[in-house]
Amino acid sequence: MVTIRVARAEDLQGMQACNLQNLPENYTMRYYMFYLLSCPQLSYVAEDEGRIVGYILARMEEDVAEGDEPHGHVVSISVLRSYRRLGLAKKLMVLSQEAMASVYRASYVMLHVRKTNRAALGLYKDTLKFSVHDVEKGYYADGEDAYVMRRSLKDLTS
Amino acid sequence: MPPAVVPPARALPLKESALFKEVLHYYEDRQLKKGLKTADTILKKFPNHGETLCMKGLILTHMGRREEGLELVKQGVRLDLTSHICWHVFGLIQKGQKNYEEALKSYTQALRFDKENMNILRDAAHLQTQLRHYDALVETRHTLLRLRPQLRQNWIALAVAYHLNGNLVEAKNVLEQFERIVKNVPDYDIEMSEILLYHLRVLEELGEYSEALALLDANAKSRRIIDRTAIMEFRARFLSKLGNADAQQAWQGLIEQNPDCYDYYKGYLANRGVDLDAITDETRGIALQTLRDFSQQFKRAAAPQRIALSVATGDEFKSLIEPYLRARLEKGVPSLFTDLKALYRDASKRDAIESAAHALLDSFVHAPDAPCPSHLDPTTYIWTLYFLAQHHSHLGRHKRALELLDTALAHTPTLPELYMFRGRVLKRCGDPYGAARWVDQARLLDLQDRFLNARCGKYRLRAGLIEEAVDVFGLFTKKDAPSPAQDLEDMQSLLYLTEEADAQLRNGNFAMALKKYAAIQKVFDDFEDDQFDFHGYSVRKFTVNIYLNLLKWEDTLRSHPAYVHAAIEASRILVKVHDDPSLATKSASQSHLSEAEKKAKKKAKKAEKKVQEEAKKASGSSTNEDKGLDASPSKDDDPDGTKLLQAPEPLERAAKLLKPLSTLAKGNVEAWIAICDVAVRRKKYLQALQALNHAHSLDADHPELHIRIVDFKRRWSSLSEKPSETVTSVVSSSFSKLLPDEVSLEHFNSQYLQRHPSRGDAILAAAKVSRILGAPREEVESAVFGALNATVELTFETALAIDSFLSEIQSPREDEFRTACKQRFELSTLFEPRDKLPELRKSAIQKSIVDTNEEKDEIIS
Repeated sequence: MVTIRVARAEDLQGMQACNLQNLPENYTMRYYMFYLLSCPQLSYVAEDEGRIVGYILARMEEDVAEGDEPHGHVVSISVLRSYRRLGLAKKLMVLSQEAMASVYRASYVMLHVRKTNRAALGLYKDTLKFSVHDVEKGYYADGEDAYVMRRSLKDLTS
Repeated sequence: MPPAVVPPARALPLKESALFKEVLHYYEDRQLKKGLKTADTILKKFPNHGETLCMKGLILTHMGRREEGLELVKQGVRLDLTSHICWHVFGLIQKGQKNYEEALKSYTQALRFDKENMNILRDAAHLQTQLRHYDALVETRHTLLRLRPQLRQNWIALAVAYHLNGNLVEAKNVLEQFERIVKNVPDYDIEMSEILLYHLRVLEELGEYSEALALLDANAKSRRIIDRTAIMEFRARFLSKLGNADAQQAWQGLIEQNPDCYDYYKGYLANRGVDLDAITDETRGIALQTLRDFSQQFKRAAAPQRIALSVATGDEFKSLIEPYLRARLEKGVPSLFTDLKALYRDASKRDAIESAAHALLDSFVHAPDAPCPSHLDPTTYIWTLYFLAQHHSHLGRHKRALELLDTALAHTPTLPELYMFRGRVLKRCGDPYGAARWVDQARLLDLQDRFLNARCGKYRLRAGLIEEAVDVFGLFTKKDAPSPAQDLEDMQSLLYLTEEADAQLRNGNFAMALKKYAAIQKVFDDFEDDQFDFHGYSVRKFTVNIYLNLLKWEDTLRSHPAYVHAAIEASRILVKVHDDPSLATKSASQSHLSEAEKKAKKKAKKAEKKVQEEAKKASGSSTNEDKGLDASPSKDDDPDGTKLLQAPEPLERAAKLLKPLSTLAKGNVEAWIAICDVAVRRKKYLQALQALNHAHSLDADHPELHIRIVDFKRRWSSLSEKPSETVTSVVSSSFSKLLPDEVSLEHFNSQYLQRHPSRGDAILAAAKVSRILGAPREEVESAVFGALNATVELTFETALAIDSFLSEIQSPREDEFRTACKQRFELSTLFEPRDKLPELRKSAIQKSIVDTNEEKDEIIS
């Protein structure tokens, strides 16, 4: 049975394994530790009988530019193919966003997505109410451009 | 305070003393060139000035000239053994090399000569935490607090030190004291919020729920604690523990916030006296009613409905399972079977599920040529077939599963899940080549999906197609990595490393297998090292709860199945090498690098050369680039693993690998067997016997244990000189419980066989023991042929093991056995005549689905 909850240290290996199976953008354990330990309230996992089947890895952006507001950053989000159609990505994202708003008073959340990733774009735009803010050319290691997407959290900030 | 009298060798005249201060400043600002130059100026006049030599060494290390730098530092220390600067520098270098034990020794020395140096104390604290020297940590943290009580961190760090050292009461006291004196806490201070959440945790661990609740409510009200979820979770738990009527509301609030969290339902129901893990007839009713209400309230949440399935029984279960199945089959949820699998422990639920699913399927049945009736959804039809295939395969009815899948595939040939599962069923039947082929077809349906790619790679590895697997993985690894294998290793893919290691092992390439198992070991070493920076970081950020969570995880890091498996398999290889050293040299001559590996080796060599040339250039022009203190990644000087295989003291290395398992994998019989095998060869008979006893208490009839008991007795009996009297008496008394003194080994063996006449693995074990005891080959052969009897439970894995054994004893009946197995395991391809292997391997790789379908017809006809 799938349960959704805040990520803990013992989930990190599972998150890493899930990421490696699903996405070409991977990280060493150091990074997972760093993101989790810097903003422990923002990362969530979907767990099925001890196995991590989905996760969202997020943090608050540290360097806030002049005139910019505090904002959250979704570093990585992924659900195993065998666990799709359960709405897990949406649930993980919403929980993380609520924490960004209530704990850190984030004004918005941002993420990067491949220009050609129609499935993800659909999820972010239509289901999760993100909009394209900018394009970052050559963002990905293989040279593909990224859409920088944003979603305001003003409706969640108490 | 530095010692009152400065030893003559350390004192510098005014000019050089000022220059030395400059060196320190340059180092701090990382102006490495200037620092180096200035240090050299001092050394011209005072070539034996230990402290300057150390600083120069430190700077050189930062510039990438690590070996030179280390030499100078060692020299400097020797020349000034009472200088805190020298020892501090030495400690820094050792810390950079991740040599924490030695670094702490250096830091401890440094502190002898400068007891109140904040930098040294802080670094020492981090090292003490890393090494789990919690007593010393408490002392260090006390000193730091005494020296700078104005720094918040020092208070919290001391509390944490007490906590780690097992003294929760003192931790609490420190926190209370801190909270009393802290001033000027700004509004909405996340650091203070985290400190209070830590305080709450301490109180919870102490069981002081009233106090905890009071602290919580006071600070939640004043908005000092700002993590709403944490507040609510703590609150619900405290209220429950105190039997407070508000608890129900608190759990309700949590469920409203996140209706997909199983723990919240567990807490809510526990608060109402219902233990979800131990439902009784009395509590069942309340549970189901509650879950019904929650399902109504939270229609999007799966949890209440699914939990209800675990709780309900009989007709109630039947009434719930039908709509549950239907809804998800209509939606096309791939994980439905995995979701329900846990319920199968209850045979009646399993049967109810089967009936419901088949009833649904029957409603879809129509003539194969006729179109699907309009009122039925073809999607639901496919997913129902898929679900039932998984169901039947799980229960061992693989042929049935394949039929269902083939029906689905004929209907919808574009769904990857169908191909993937068909592959999985073939894997379960012992046809790894067919399995790989089918999973490859799934992959070809969506080349953008890494999940399908990874599965394909894994299945190729299972089929022993290592190069082809790496090719497939390579479609998603970094293009600028030396090889796909290297990228996966760098990214710490335990899945890949484990599967490749196992594949190499099955192929008989011990060197490469050992190399990959060693890579897994290194990943865990890296995980352990990674925590180091957080000893400082988390204290500075006050995120203590997650930090403590991290340390706890690190403490049991090597309980992870990937480490346990790697340690056991690697130790087996090392034991084999110990028993037969020719294996190591044989492996060397046999080892050949595949084309891909040769290319990668060339590429890596080229890259290495480039790096070296650039380094030479760099050191020539001495840039200011700070390469830091971390040890540079070592180059791979053992690409085919032979060096590792031939390295000395295989048993000691094996023992080291297995050590964590005696505490972290206590329930694993294979681990104890592995520990015994190593111990007995190192002549540590007590350790070996202890391992046997552990294995025995876990599974007294385990076939491998049986073999080891006999082996132990033979080794012990053949000792010309018994070890000390104490050891002998312990062994004699303890071992007789495993194998009574008066029972002969032959008799012990036949008793074992008599107890397990229908277990294939027991038959093999008994045969192996017979062989050890000198039984003639023919006798041993007919013993294992007994495993083919219809009454014997024989898996294809055991059949393969028997086949290996027959090969080992050079039995002329091996082909006969394989033929018989081929008949028994109809769908398996593992017992085909050996000359068919190239064809089988080829069949596992397909270029396109079109080819596949054509070839499929050929194979069937």
